[in-house]
Amino acid sequence: MSEFYEGMAEIFEVELSAITSEFELHSGEAAWDSLAIVSTIALVDDCFNVMLDGKALGGCQTIADIENLIEAAKKG
Amino acid sequence: MTCQSTTVGRHVCVTGAAIVGVVSCLPQNQVSNAQFENYFGEAAVSDVVKMIGVQNRFWTDEHTSARDLCAHAGRRLLTQLDWPVTSVDALIFVSQTPDYRLPASACALQSDLGLTSACIAFDINLGCSGYPYALWLGMTMVQTGAARRVLLAVGDTISKIVDPTDRSTALLFGDAGTVTAIEAAQEQKAYFVLGTDGRGACNLIVPKGGFKDYSKSGDIRLKEKVPDCLYMDGGEIFNFTLKAVPALVSETIESSGIPLEEHDGFLFHQANLFMLKHLTKKSKLPLDKTPINIDQYGNTSCASIPLLMTTCLKDSLQKKSMQLAMFGFGVGYSWAGLSFSVGPLKCVETVKL
Repeated sequence: MSEFYEGMAEIFEVELSAITSEFELHSGEAAWDSLAIVSTIALVDDCFNVMLDGKALGGCQTIADIENLIEAAKKG
Repeated sequence: MTCQSTTVGRHVCVTGAAIVGVVSCLPQNQVSNAQFENYFGEAAVSDVVKMIGVQNRFWTDEHTSARDLCAHAGRRLLTQLDWPVTSVDALIFVSQTPDYRLPASACALQSDLGLTSACIAFDINLGCSGYPYALWLGMTMVQTGAARRVLLAVGDTISKIVDPTDRSTALLFGDAGTVTAIEAAQEQKAYFVLGTDGRGACNLIVPKGGFKDYSKSGDIRLKEKVPDCLYMDGGEIFNFTLKAVPALVSETIESSGIPLEEHDGFLFHQANLFMLKHLTKKSKLPLDKTPINIDQYGNTSCASIPLLMTTCLKDSLQKKSMQLAMFGFGVGYSWAGLSFSVGPLKCVETVKL
């Protein structure tokens, strides 16, 4: 999971320690915009070899929501 | 080899034709990122550029079209190859920014270049996938004997259809026109994979200006968009690319029967830098054989692959034969890949108009 967290920290331009399951995607310091979503699709493809839907990602509130999407995608 | 279909596309092998020269033509007007900062602000420009990787692009003025860029490139190519105008049997113009809704720009180009009235000339309406499609058709025409020499004029001026206030497209595109010369060559084999998925049509579209108005279809994404300008759903396009292109790469290489390591170059349509890096990694291609020039010219639509040949590969293609794989993908959705040998070319250059 660490490679994924490192990538998310890079996308949000925050310290790695800030990224936890509870991290709020819409918090003040983060910008959960189309660029971040596209970057996340690529990151998840890299780390887990699964592809997430852009619209579903757009509806996520926290990192945990993204992790749930990843688990669901892994199960096909 | 017989043709066959897979989930990725139609596999076709074309024999007996080769590229002998390529000229790209860029407009004079150079547009840097600084020129967008007044409108979008420095931070927004920097965010977009980090993703798309475009530092610089060339845009035509209001009087110059893709046909004009191609005409200039074509004249240079005919001169350098020493091809009499009477020897060109066919001219295909590939573009989504033709001069007019009618007539076909290929007809005007036939006249611009002084080709004979026995010249087959017509337009093809394809974008990012257009160059491999043009090669497939042009080479097939040579293979059948329908034409001995073919010119492929492949170019776009997307700058003329972007909404200058839409940051997802305003910085991305550059203009370019290219012409590629094809003629008979024994022993040559080109392996193509060509595919289509029209379900993606509304994700990259100019909704209005043809004879149907998609802006009135009720698609909520188009609310507050300018209907005459290019609309792009970046997330959808990215998802499509990730699904389609790695499979296209592996099937194209596999169908050629030539191992990946024996290819000298992998030329991707220059869609955006982030996407290119991801595709290269995903397809496990060597970085030093996957040239990128989107930083200097932007996404030039159908012209991006020939523009890679006349810039990044110019020196190599002048000197030697290279086994190249090319991949075009995007608007349609439409995609195509091929693997074949190119060079040494008598003419491979970039000119300005």
